[in-house]
Amino acid sequence: MATPTEALDEVTPATRELVLDLHRRMVRIRRFEERAGKLVESGDMPGFLHLYVGQEAVAAGVCSALTDADQITSTHRGHGHAIAKGAEFRPMFAELYGKTTGYCKGRGGSMHIVDMNRGMLGANAIVGGGIPIALGAGFASQYRNDGTVAVTFFGDGATNIGAFHESANFAAVWDLPVIFVCENNGYAEFTSQANHMRLTDIAERAASYGMPGVIVDGMDALAVREATIEAVDRAKRGEGPTFIEAKTYRYFDHQGIKGMRIPYRDPAEVEAWRTRDAIALIEAIGTERGLATAEEFAAIWAQTEAEIEDGIEFARNSPDPDPADILDDVYTV
Amino acid sequence: MTTPETTTRELTYVKAFNEGMHQVMAEDPDVFLIGEDVAGYGGVFHMFDGLLTEFGDRRVKDTPIAEQAIIGLGVGAAARGLRPVCDLMFMDFVGVAMDQIFNQAAKMKYMFGGNVSVPLTITTAGGAGMSAAAQHSQSLEAWLAHVPGLKVAMPASAYDAKGLIVGAIRDDNPTIVVLNKRMLGVKGHVPEELYAIPFGVANVVREGTDVTIVAIGRMVPEASKAAKKLEDSGISVEIIDPRTVQPLDTATIVDSVKKTNRVLIVHEAVEFGGIGAEISSQIQEAAFDYLDAPVARLAAPFAPVPYAPILENAYVPDAPRIEAAVRRLLERR
Amino acid sequence: MAIEILLPKLGLTMDEGTVDEWLVADGTVITMGMPLLRLATDKIDVDVEAEGEGILQRAVPDGATLAPGSVLGWLLAAGEAAPEGAVAPVAAPAAADAVVITTKQGTADVAVESAGGRAFISPNARRVATELGIDLSNVVGSGPGGRIVSEDVEEAASRPAPAVSSEPTKAVSPLARRDAQRAGIDVAAIPTATGYASRADVRNAIASGPTQSASAAVATSAAVAQLPAYQETASIIPMKGMRGTIAARMQQSLTEMAQLTHGFEVSMDAVVALRTEMKDQYSALGVPVPSLNDFIVRAAALALRQHPILNATIVDREIHLLGRIHMGLAVSVPGGLMVPVIRDADRLSLPALAATTRDLADRCRNGSIGLDELEGGTFAVTSLGTYGVDMFTPVVNPGNVGILGVGRLRDSGKWEGDAWVRTQVLTLSLTFDHRAVDGAPAAEYLQTMAELLARPLVLVS
Repeated sequence: MATPTEALDEVTPATRELVLDLHRRMVRIRRFEERAGKLVESGDMPGFLHLYVGQEAVAAGVCSALTDADQITSTHRGHGHAIAKGAEFRPMFAELYGKTTGYCKGRGGSMHIVDMNRGMLGANAIVGGGIPIALGAGFASQYRNDGTVAVTFFGDGATNIGAFHESANFAAVWDLPVIFVCENNGYAEFTSQANHMRLTDIAERAASYGMPGVIVDGMDALAVREATIEAVDRAKRGEGPTFIEAKTYRYFDHQGIKGMRIPYRDPAEVEAWRTRDAIALIEAIGTERGLATAEEFAAIWAQTEAEIEDGIEFARNSPDPDPADILDDVYTV
Repeated sequence: MTTPETTTRELTYVKAFNEGMHQVMAEDPDVFLIGEDVAGYGGVFHMFDGLLTEFGDRRVKDTPIAEQAIIGLGVGAAARGLRPVCDLMFMDFVGVAMDQIFNQAAKMKYMFGGNVSVPLTITTAGGAGMSAAAQHSQSLEAWLAHVPGLKVAMPASAYDAKGLIVGAIRDDNPTIVVLNKRMLGVKGHVPEELYAIPFGVANVVREGTDVTIVAIGRMVPEASKAAKKLEDSGISVEIIDPRTVQPLDTATIVDSVKKTNRVLIVHEAVEFGGIGAEISSQIQEAAFDYLDAPVARLAAPFAPVPYAPILENAYVPDAPRIEAAVRRLLERR
Repeated sequence: MAIEILLPKLGLTMDEGTVDEWLVADGTVITMGMPLLRLATDKIDVDVEAEGEGILQRAVPDGATLAPGSVLGWLLAAGEAAPEGAVAPVAAPAAADAVVITTKQGTADVAVESAGGRAFISPNARRVATELGIDLSNVVGSGPGGRIVSEDVEEAASRPAPAVSSEPTKAVSPLARRDAQRAGIDVAAIPTATGYASRADVRNAIASGPTQSASAAVATSAAVAQLPAYQETASIIPMKGMRGTIAARMQQSLTEMAQLTHGFEVSMDAVVALRTEMKDQYSALGVPVPSLNDFIVRAAALALRQHPILNATIVDREIHLLGRIHMGLAVSVPGGLMVPVIRDADRLSLPALAATTRDLADRCRNGSIGLDELEGGTFAVTSLGTYGVDMFTPVVNPGNVGILGVGRLRDSGKWEGDAWVRTQVLTLSLTFDHRAVDGAPAAEYLQTMAELLARPLVLVS
């Protein structure tokens, strides 16, 4: 179990814009996930969700260091990455509701959210499935020499799968501009880290592939952003990949809010992590340093709430796909 | 559509493929080639000879042994608009890369609501008859043809080897081109210019009236040998080579069966669940009232490919066995 | 597991046989060796016996003509269903005009239902049958398992349709119809037991005399219709099987050839004397003495060597002199006549000839003669001596040009100088086909016979 740490002093000083930006990204993720979770629980929305609540600082911190041209690949727990990268609520809710106005025209659902305009190369339902794809995104950057980079998000569990090892080695030996961001929330589905690997710090693996490994406090968006900036610079200099391990935590179950209701986590553990809540942390930093006011933060919450309602309304009113179109887009014609 | 027989420029199957690679890479700067031993060595079957020299190591690259990463890189790069050619050496290795092939490459277009195309080409070599044993001799096209989103081409001549690789690379869908290891030295007419063979259009290799043989891969030339012998007995054989098993030109096959009323399907792959089963089912659905005999199949028995030559020879169909199967089809008292 | 009852191939050249009559009914419990049916070929009738045990299930009706190896029925285990398969009888194709038997709807149904009730017809055959307007119940399948395939339908379409009459339609095989047409016989007038006219029935009709009338009102036997009003039939002997065959062949022989008969008296004194001498020696050896007939047969064979024109056969417009001499011997059996053949009769010694003759005759009478042994004769000898007949006019077997009839051994006399001495003589009756053999050569043959019989030591060697 990772221990909470104090926020690190950032290398780049936090600015008001930065703090509000990070706060906004995280609040949007938080409220979207909480609302979506409730909608599925009530049966209003189909399928099942893997909620990102608690980990917001990682997505927000990483994506705030990227441009729209930079690519990310994601996981089954991908709403946070999508929203952090700039995805909008309307097409996201519409996709979860399975409507034609969704990001995937209702074809993909939660685990396949994509927004190519924002460099979001899709969530992925296969553990480790997105990692090799990020190699390709990074290779394209290298091939075109266009100054972009690729980031691949994955969890602690995914670092055990073959595709991860292949990709890490591959990226290192080809010096691909790929940043490996490991969101270590201490669990691979329902199995705690202690039970699925010998290591405590996964970043130790990086050396074995010939790339640098960095550990950051995943609840500190500013720290995450710092680490990302450094990795991006390395990549753009042609020095190859970096492995960032963000120690973080998900408040909800593997899937859903209450999920399987199998007690495999100590509620005390959950509470301990909540005391270091990422959003609370950024608000504290903002107000303590006089970079932003409580009202401004509150406004962001309110604004987010309104957009979410709008998104849900939009989705509910959107048309369902026509079964006659079921064969569309199997192939590119 | 028949292979033109105008000029007499002859190349081997592997040289024709190689020529196609050279020409299409010269034409389109977005095409690049990666795989194990493809650059320095030119590919273990010499399919890629000369490409490193002509196009340099930015576009022709040797990879670590990491099939998931190889294909995943291809997926990501294709999603970003490049045209990767990823070589999998032996068709048996698709298993190692299977997730990236069938869960990622095949489905991205559809899952992402048509927003992403994956113009990826995978090259590989399949087929038995070289004492390469069970894990280096398989024909697994049925697995791949079964996945919506993939295209599968199986050149059966030098002309097809060039035309289908060009067609595959120009296609905006994930395509697997399966060469046959034992056909590499087979010579045939190959035009000098760059040309592509359209997918989903079968080749009527030989016209006839008494019986139709649908053959793929190396069974096409074997069927031709058998047909010549059968002609001496006054039996007129029509041979259809689908060229691509996905998409499959059912119409040409059905038209032929309606003409001859008897059909034999021949392939190297195991009979149970082989592509012949699909073709057979489609034939009887479309041409039931035109059949004078059940649709016959000649294929490998339900066992892995054996090593000993005497066993392997008994395993793979050949011209004499094709001839015998045709005679059985035509038996009357 | 069902045991198949197959139509046996009784001789090398046999290409069809007719199920004259089933001797047992469906459902009968059959034991090993039980006679199941009478099979007629153009040479002999045999009873086909069971080669296993089970419950009989027939697949073909009486009168069906099929090729050797055809399934006639099955012996089933209790509760076992008959295998689906043979739907209609098939005769082996003889020539380009395929020999295919059409079956009357009724009998076909019997056969099909008892076999499980399913006809196997390829989808394409059905389609083509619909296109061409062909009734599939009249088509026989040549595909695997008796499946009707489109080629069968197309062939059926190219054959003339079966004759249609106002009577309950009689089914008739194409070959039978051809035979009838050639003989100028109305198919509808052919008497049959089952309503199905086979080639044998046509032959019988040919043999039994002209029934040219094409008029209707022949619902019952034609023979009955011909009797004068004041006559009744006491009993009927059907001209089936051997009777029918004999009738047909005799008529055929006489209508095809130009037959004449020479009568010739030969002295048998030398043979008789020799026989008497031989009796003692032979009985000491425990071997029967060759009979008078044996001597005559030997003489006939040797004489043919000197007169090859009589050991010939006519093929179209050619007389083929045959190299080997195979002697047919007429043997009377209950119900008729058989002609077993002694191969290379001229090369057998007299004792061997005698033994062979005895053996063949025995086996003809006990029914164990093989079809092979009834075929291939180049000349024949027939004897009515035991019946007291002197001279008679035997009929040449179709394919031969001569036959020698042997009359009774009788006492006679001749002048030796002024003395009237006793002799023993018999009359030889040589019928010959004048198309190949003229009268003088025929007479010369008889002269040679007389010489041989006068010096019988030649015959003994």
